[in-house]
Amino acid sequence: MIFEIGEKIIRVMKAFTEPRIAIKDIVKEPAHKSPIFRGRHEIHYEFCIGCDACNKICPVDAIKMKPLPLKKPRMVPEVNLAVCIFCGLCEDVCPTKPKAIKLSGGDIEIIAPDGTHKTLEDFWVRVDIPEEWIEQKKREEEEKARKKREMMEKKKREAELKKQEAKGEEK
Amino acid sequence: MREKLKEIIGRYDVEYIEDYRSWVKAKLKNKEDLLPLIKELKKAGVKSCSTVSPTDFIDENRIEVNYFLENLNPTKSSKEEEKVNVWLKVDLDRDLQNCEIDSITPIMPSANYHELEAYSTFGVKFRGHPNLRYFLISRDYYGKFPFRKDFDFKEHEKNLIENINAITDEFLEEFEEHEKTIGHEGSRTVLHWGPTHPASGPIRLKVFTNGEIIEKVEPDIGYVWRALENLVERKDFIGAIVAVERICFMDNPNPMICYSEAVEEIAGKEITPFAKYMRVILGETGRIASHLISMGSFFGTMGLQTFLMWCLDVREYFLDVLEDYSGARIATSCIEPGGVRYPLPDPEAWFNEIDKAIKKWEKVKPDIEDIFLKNPLMTKRAKNTGVFTLEDVEEYFLAGPVARASGAKIDVRIDEPYAGYADLEMDYVTCENGDARDRLYIIVKEVDQSIGLIKQAIEKIREGIEKGEMNPSKDHLIKMPKKLPAGESVRRIEWARGEILMHLVTQDKATSPYRLKIKTPSVNHTMMLENLLPGHTLSDIPLLYGSMHICQGDLDR
Ligand code: SF4
Ligand code: SF4
Repeated sequence: MIFEIGEKIIRVMKAFTEPRIAIKDIVKEPAHKSPIFRGRHEIHYEFCIGCDACNKICPVDAIKMKPLPLKKPRMVPEVNLAVCIFCGLCEDVCPTKPKAIKLSGGDIEIIAPDGTHKTLEDFWVRVDIPEEWIEQKKREEEEKARKKREMMEKKKREAELKKQEAKGEEK
Repeated sequence: MREKLKEIIGRYDVEYIEDYRSWVKAKLKNKEDLLPLIKELKKAGVKSCSTVSPTDFIDENRIEVNYFLENLNPTKSSKEEEKVNVWLKVDLDRDLQNCEIDSITPIMPSANYHELEAYSTFGVKFRGHPNLRYFLISRDYYGKFPFRKDFDFKEHEKNLIENINAITDEFLEEFEEHEKTIGHEGSRTVLHWGPTHPASGPIRLKVFTNGEIIEKVEPDIGYVWRALENLVERKDFIGAIVAVERICFMDNPNPMICYSEAVEEIAGKEITPFAKYMRVILGETGRIASHLISMGSFFGTMGLQTFLMWCLDVREYFLDVLEDYSGARIATSCIEPGGVRYPLPDPEAWFNEIDKAIKKWEKVKPDIEDIFLKNPLMTKRAKNTGVFTLEDVEEYFLAGPVARASGAKIDVRIDEPYAGYADLEMDYVTCENGDARDRLYIIVKEVDQSIGLIKQAIEKIREGIEKGEMNPSKDHLIKMPKKLPAGESVRRIEWARGEILMHLVTQDKATSPYRLKIKTPSVNHTMMLENLLPGHTLSDIPLLYGSMHICQGDLDR
């Protein structure tokens, strides 16, 4: 009897030596960090090819494609985190390497520093593309198009030349 | 058994009889044959109806009703005698007037809610059902049969305000009716237990009481009805996992195993052994995570939240395991058709994490046993209360831990092994009495069993890696075809709280499921409350309700 009581007292005393659980401020640092935690998206417009696959597979329509004045990428995704369920399917399906849309390894910074969000805009993962980049891409594209055109013309000319030669031989 | 069942079914006018896994599958030509056949089957030992699942073939102008009848045989292990089930199909006319068939509820009471569900969502009328009414759906869907292929949800949602008004009107009318029928004289009244009761979850039990004694209970369900079965029809085969996993947050990976296996069967693909064992580990981790909540909320519903907090603390460690693998804690979407979704670049680190969780459980277990499982107050209230016999188990198809608490030898992992269970050592864990206290004890026992299974699966993976047969960073997924052929498959798995059955139908060159029926155990367990609670006192409701481990997520879907 006394032994039993003693045992119970010791067991309760054990609680004092336990590490306290609430020793972390989880707003700043997660209690457990997984290497592939699915958090806020990162969108790399420079890899994206605008294939629309992420938008098509998203089960909750959280992705909206932002049109660009370019041919490739024609558009880039933007994610509404207020709708997103963090399933990660968009990352799985993205064909580029490295992935143009990525959420694994992301972080939990969805909690606002002061606790409340003022607008829903805070939940959008926007892509800010610098004007210069677009301009440069445009120029590159034009360059490419020009080269292509030149190539085509050259080929045409060559073909015509050949035809003429062939005709000349016939005669 | 198989031959006997075939012979019985063969006496009727059938289109075909064939063997399908543990089932005998047959299609009846005449719907009039159904009742006599089911009577005979029941005599032969197939006593429980798992579910009734209509499929709407709108192009052929017919609705095909599938009856899944199971031979539970709770006294025998399936190792002694194979448990053969029966899958019957009947064609019905699609137009609402003639879409009618005899109800099997008078013969097999376990079909009750499933028939109501089929009626509410597909408009199949069941002649002779004891109380055919709209069920599960809210009033704005009455008479519209939302799972039929020609129903338009978008169109329906345009009248949002009218829809909400219709729902509120229903409550008011019900209130007025009770005013009239019961009145203010005497000691009779109707008590609404839930949907905002701290212990209930989103379900409402209409409890008709006389003083403190319960006379009748009518569960009102559908508060978290998300029409998941219909939702998957609008997703592709991979995207559907996010709908399937949302059946219930407590045990997340297991429903995805069931769905994925159904898809793999239609695609005719076999997954790698590594993926199979990964499914075991993930599934069992999910089971433990669910059981820890079940265990805690058994006391939680009685008003003691301390134990729930303890359990949630342990649960966090198991969720860490899921998070390390998949990147999410609750909605992991970690299993998809073709295997498991992520590679395992560093297996030992993950196994270490599992070990940490198991150690945590083993550390608190002695305290849990001493303080809570032997708790005299709980024993006083729960011992010999709400006893289920083996007959009840068969009659109402109680499943999972609820059935095993009564000593029933039912476990899909053994009866029809899936994933990697066929190669693992396991036996039925059971209790004897089948009272509310045993339904708590069984949960604790099952956690230990799950830990054993996880350890075995880890060993198998280690062996495989050592021998060079498994490559954890490559073997996780096989390539699945983009389009599936026409076909159908039925899969069962042992979920944390009982058996889940999924019936998947696809059409040719399918990119998304044509129909997915999900049968979940909480439906039957809620149905059982109607028989269980009357005669008890009001204070028994939280106790008995908590002992059934009901989750509204899978009840409503
Ligand atoms: S994580 Fe899932 S829900 Fe979120 S944007 Fe990607 S696909 Fe859509
Ligand atoms: S993010 Fe990836 S999937 Fe989405 S449009 Fe760009 S390349 Fe395609």
